[in-house]
Amino acid sequence: MSESAGPRVALVQFPGSNCEWETRRAAEAAGIECDVFRWNLDPEALAPYDGYIVGGGFSYQDRVRSGVVATKEPIVARMMVEVLERGKPALGICNGAQVMVEAGLIPGVHAGDVEMALAPNRPDPEHRIAGFCCRWVFVKLACAPGRCLMTAGMQPGEVIPIPIAHGEGRFTTGDPGLVARLQENDQVVFQYCDADGNVEDRPEINPNGAVANIAGICSPDGNLLAMMPHPERASFLRQVPGDLGGPWSRRRREAWGDAGALETPGPGRVIFESMRQALLAAQPA
Amino acid sequence: MELDEELQAVLDEQGVVLTVGEVRRVAELIGRDPTLVELHVFNVEWSEHCSYKSSKASLKLLPTDGPNVMLGPQEDAGIVFFTEHEGRRWGIVIAHESHNHPSQVLPNEGAATGIGGIVRDVDCMGARVFGTADPLRFGDPTGENADRTRWIVSGVVDGIWQYGNALGVPNLGGDIYFDETFDDNCVINVVAIGLVAEDEIIHSSVPPNAHDEPYVLILVGKPTDDSGFGGSAFASKILDEEEQAEDRGAVQVPDPFLKNVLAMRKANEAVRERARELGVTIGVKDIGGGGFACGSSEITAAGDGFGIDIDLRAVHVGLDGLLPETIMCAETQERYVVAVPERFADEVLRIYNEDWDLPNVYEGACARVIGRITEDEMYTVRFDGRIVIQAPVQVVTSGIEYDREERARNYAGVEPDFERPADLGETLLAVLGSRNVCSREYVYRAYDSEVQGNAVLRPGEAGAGVARPLPGCDAAVALAVDGNPKYGRIDPYWGGANAVAEAMRNCAAVGAAPQALTDCLNFGNPEKPEQFWEFRRGVKGVADAASNLWLKGYPDGTPTPVISGNVSLYNESATGSSVAPSPIVACIGVMADFAKAVTVQLKRPGDAIYLLGERKDELGGSAYYEVLGLGLGRNVPQVDWAAERARIYAITDAIDAGLVAACQDISDGGLAVALAEMALGPFGRGDVGADVAVGSILNGLRPDRALFSESGGFVVEVREGCEERFEALCAEYGVEPMRLGETSETAALEIELDGEDIIEVPTAALADAWLGGLARILHS
Repeated sequence: MSESAGPRVALVQFPGSNCEWETRRAAEAAGIECDVFRWNLDPEALAPYDGYIVGGGFSYQDRVRSGVVATKEPIVARMMVEVLERGKPALGICNGAQVMVEAGLIPGVHAGDVEMALAPNRPDPEHRIAGFCCRWVFVKLACAPGRCLMTAGMQPGEVIPIPIAHGEGRFTTGDPGLVARLQENDQVVFQYCDADGNVEDRPEINPNGAVANIAGICSPDGNLLAMMPHPERASFLRQVPGDLGGPWSRRRREAWGDAGALETPGPGRVIFESMRQALLAAQPA
Repeated sequence: MELDEELQAVLDEQGVVLTVGEVRRVAELIGRDPTLVELHVFNVEWSEHCSYKSSKASLKLLPTDGPNVMLGPQEDAGIVFFTEHEGRRWGIVIAHESHNHPSQVLPNEGAATGIGGIVRDVDCMGARVFGTADPLRFGDPTGENADRTRWIVSGVVDGIWQYGNALGVPNLGGDIYFDETFDDNCVINVVAIGLVAEDEIIHSSVPPNAHDEPYVLILVGKPTDDSGFGGSAFASKILDEEEQAEDRGAVQVPDPFLKNVLAMRKANEAVRERARELGVTIGVKDIGGGGFACGSSEITAAGDGFGIDIDLRAVHVGLDGLLPETIMCAETQERYVVAVPERFADEVLRIYNEDWDLPNVYEGACARVIGRITEDEMYTVRFDGRIVIQAPVQVVTSGIEYDREERARNYAGVEPDFERPADLGETLLAVLGSRNVCSREYVYRAYDSEVQGNAVLRPGEAGAGVARPLPGCDAAVALAVDGNPKYGRIDPYWGGANAVAEAMRNCAAVGAAPQALTDCLNFGNPEKPEQFWEFRRGVKGVADAASNLWLKGYPDGTPTPVISGNVSLYNESATGSSVAPSPIVACIGVMADFAKAVTVQLKRPGDAIYLLGERKDELGGSAYYEVLGLGLGRNVPQVDWAAERARIYAITDAIDAGLVAACQDISDGGLAVALAEMALGPFGRGDVGADVAVGSILNGLRPDRALFSESGGFVVEVREGCEERFEALCAEYGVEPMRLGETSETAALEIELDGEDIIEVPTAALADAWLGGLARILHS
C-alpha cells in the first residue's frame, strides 16, 4: 500500500456470496478502496489490506448452519490473524455476521469460541409462509458511538431505518449471563426499535425475535462489527422507501425529482464512513 | 394396422408420446427409420413445449418488431432498447416462462426451477440479471381442495424465495389470483430481466466466425443425471392425480448455489470478459426444456450453415450407466452450452474449472469440450464410437405444426340483479380483505427485493417494481405483470387485452412509458376445439391490444412490441376441466429519471384527487361480484384503445412534469379499492386521508356499481397548485380528468354522494382488513 492511496479493504467472496457489488459501491462511496477477494486465492495476499468486509449471501449454500462452512476456509483463518493480532477493522454484514459468529470472532469474549448463534427467525404469530424476512426496520445505536470503530461517526442513541433480509438472524445464546455481560461491556451495538427508538420485543419491531432485540454486536476491542441489517442497501438516500415514515423517508420524498440529492448518503453510509476513519487512523503516518 | 399397434407398443414402453403418424413423419424426413435415441430426441423436440406445434400459427398475430426492438422473440430472451449512457447503447433483456405442471406435483422444486431457467435465459444473452417477477395462479384456498392448494401456495412461495434469494436476484413484483379453475393445475409464471450493452449481446447461436476457424462446443454446469427426463413431454400432457407420484421424476432439481457461481457476475461473466479482451466471438445457450438435445441442436441450427459432431461420452455425468437417450434428454439444471474457437477452449475450461473451482462448488460439476462445429449441417451424436443420431440439424429443430380445430365456446353467464348493499363501508372492507384484493405483503416479504442495491420502488410501493440497474445512469426500468383469470373465463379476448392494458397502466402509474411486452399463454388442451378457440381468442386479445396501444414517442400506429414469451398448453385436469384462459402479460416501462418515480401512497393534505377513465357498467369478473357471491356476471371490462392510449400518455407526461404526488391504476376492486390503497400505502400506515365526492362520475350507474366497476383508469393525487397545468396537460391528449376531491389530514377514506357519506372508514380499519387478509384466508 502506497502512502498516497486511500485505505483499502478486501471484500471476502465465497461461493454463494451475492452482495459483493453493492457493498463495494457503498464502501467506495465512503472513500474506501475495495477489492473483491475470491475464496480460492492465496490467503497470504489478504495480509496487506487495511481491513475486511464479509458481505451478505448464502455462502456454501448455508450448509450445516449459515456461515459455518466458510469459517473453515484458509482465507478466514488468515483474516482472523489480521483482526485479532493486528487489530484491523472488519465489518460482517448478514451472512458475513453469521460467519463472524461461527468463527468465534463475535462476541469474542473468549476469541475463537462460538458463544452465540444466529438462529432461524422466530416464527411469526400469523404463521408466515416462509422463515425468510425482507423488510425495512429501524435500529438504534445502543453502545457509545466510539465503542465500535464502525459507529464512531453516529450520534448517541441515533435511530436509522435499514433493511434486513435473512432467514437466520436471531441472535441467541445458551449462556444465561452472556447478554448481560455484553451489555455491561457495551458490545451490543444495534437494537431493533420503532421509528421513535423504543426497543420492544414485538414482531413489528423485533423482526426475528433476537434476544434483547440485538441487531449487531462488536468484538471486545470494538474493531469488529457483526450486523444482520444491510447498511450497503441503505447507503444512498435513493434506497430509502419514501413511505416508511420518519426523517429519512421525509428526506427521500423531499428529494423527489432530484437525482443528485437522491445520490447523497443514506442512513447506512455512516457505518462505512466510520470504517474509513478507523482505517485512516490505523495507517502509518 | 398391426405394424401401427406394434409401433405404438414400443412408443408406450419407451415413454415416447409421439403419435404413430409423427414417427412416420420423422422417418420420412430423415429417410430411414429413426434410432431409439432419435425417437427420444424428436419426442422432446416435437413436444408442444419445445415446438409450439399447436400455437405457432396463432403467435404470428403478435406484433414482435418495432423501432426500439434490439432482439425479437427468436432466441432465449428478447431485448428492448433502454438508454444511451456514456456513448453506449444499453438494452433490457426479458424472458417469461411458465412452470405450471412441475409446480403442481412438486411445488417447491417446480417454482425454484422456474426461476433458475428464466435467469439462465437472460444471463446467456450476456446480460446481468437484475430482477424477477412471479405471476402466480392458485386454486380456491378455502374450497374443497383447500389443503392441497395451501400446500402448493406455501411450496411455491418457498421455492421462489429459496432459489431467488440465494441466487441474489431481487424480486420486482408479481401478482396472485385464486380461482377454483386452478384447483388441479396451478399456473406458475416467472419473468426475469437483465441489462446488457448492445455491443456485448451474446447470441444463442454458433457465430459466423466458425466458418473461418475451428469452433468447439463446451458443456458447463451440473453433471448430467436423469432428473427431469421427459420434462418437456410432461409439460405437454394432461395432469392426472393418479399419476402424480410417477410424474415427480419429470421435475428437475434446482441448485441456486451452483447457479450463483455460474451466473451472478462470477464464472460466466469471467468467460465473457476474457472473450471480449481477446476479440473472440462466442455463442451461449441455456439448457432448459428438452435438455442437452435441444440446447446443442438449437445453438447449431441458429447459426448459419453449421452442423455439429458430439461425443456423448465426453459429457460429464452424475450417475453411472446412463443411457444415451437419457443424457440427451434429461433436464438436469444449471447447465449451458458455449460455442468457442478451439484456441480459446482451454482457457474457458480453466476459468470454469480452476478459477471458479466448479468441481469443488458442486460435486461433479465442470466444463468440458463435448463436440466440434462442422460445415456439414448435420446433427451427429456418437456414443462409444457408435453413431446414435445423424440427421440434418434443421430437421431436428424445425418441429412440426398442426392446424388445430377451433370452436367458439358460448359463455352463458348473465349480469346479476341485486340490491345495493346497505353499508358500503362494510362492503369495501370485505372486498379489501378478499382473496384477490388483499395485500400480498404476506408473500412478498419472503422475497429479497433489496439485493443488488438498485431498488427504486419495491413490491407494494406501486403496481410496478422499479429499479435503476446501471450505476451512474439515472434511467430506470419498471416491470409489471398482469392477467385477471376471471376476465379470461368470461371472454379470453378481453382477458388478453386487459392483461396488456393493465400491465401498461401499472408501468405508466409510476411514470414509466411502456416499451415492450412479453406474454405467457396458459391455456387448456389444444386438441379440444373449444379450448383451442379460447387460446386463439386470448392471443388475438393480446395482439390487438399490443397493436393498438402504441409506443409513446413514435409515429402513430407503432405497436408496443411483444419481444418474448411462452406457451403453456394442456393445463387441464384428468376430469377434463381446463384452467381459466390465462394470457399473462409482463410490461417493461422506461423512465429517463428514476428520481421522478411515484408511489401509490397519498403524500400530503390539501392536494387534489382526480379520476382518469370513466366508470362503466363493467363488473363482469369483478372482485365485487365475487365478494357478494354473485358469480362472474357478463360485462367484462373492455379496452377503448384510443382512450387508454391517451390516458397512458397523459399520466406519464404529468408525472414527468412533476405534477403528480401519487398515482394508482384502477383494477381489482375498482375505484373504491384504488382510493383505499392510496390511503393505506405499502405498509398500511398512510397518515393522509382522501375526502372525495362521486356524484359527478356516476355516469348513470348506481353508486356501488360505479365504485366497484373495474373499467380501466387512474386515480391521481395532483400537487396543490398544479391542478390547472394537470388539466391542461390532460386536455392536450383529449383526456378529461374528473375532480373527485382532496387529500385530508384525517387518516380515513370518506366518499360522499349528494352531501351524505356513503363510505367513511378510518385507515386503521382499512389496514386491518387489507394487510391481514391473506394470512386469514390461508389459515382459516
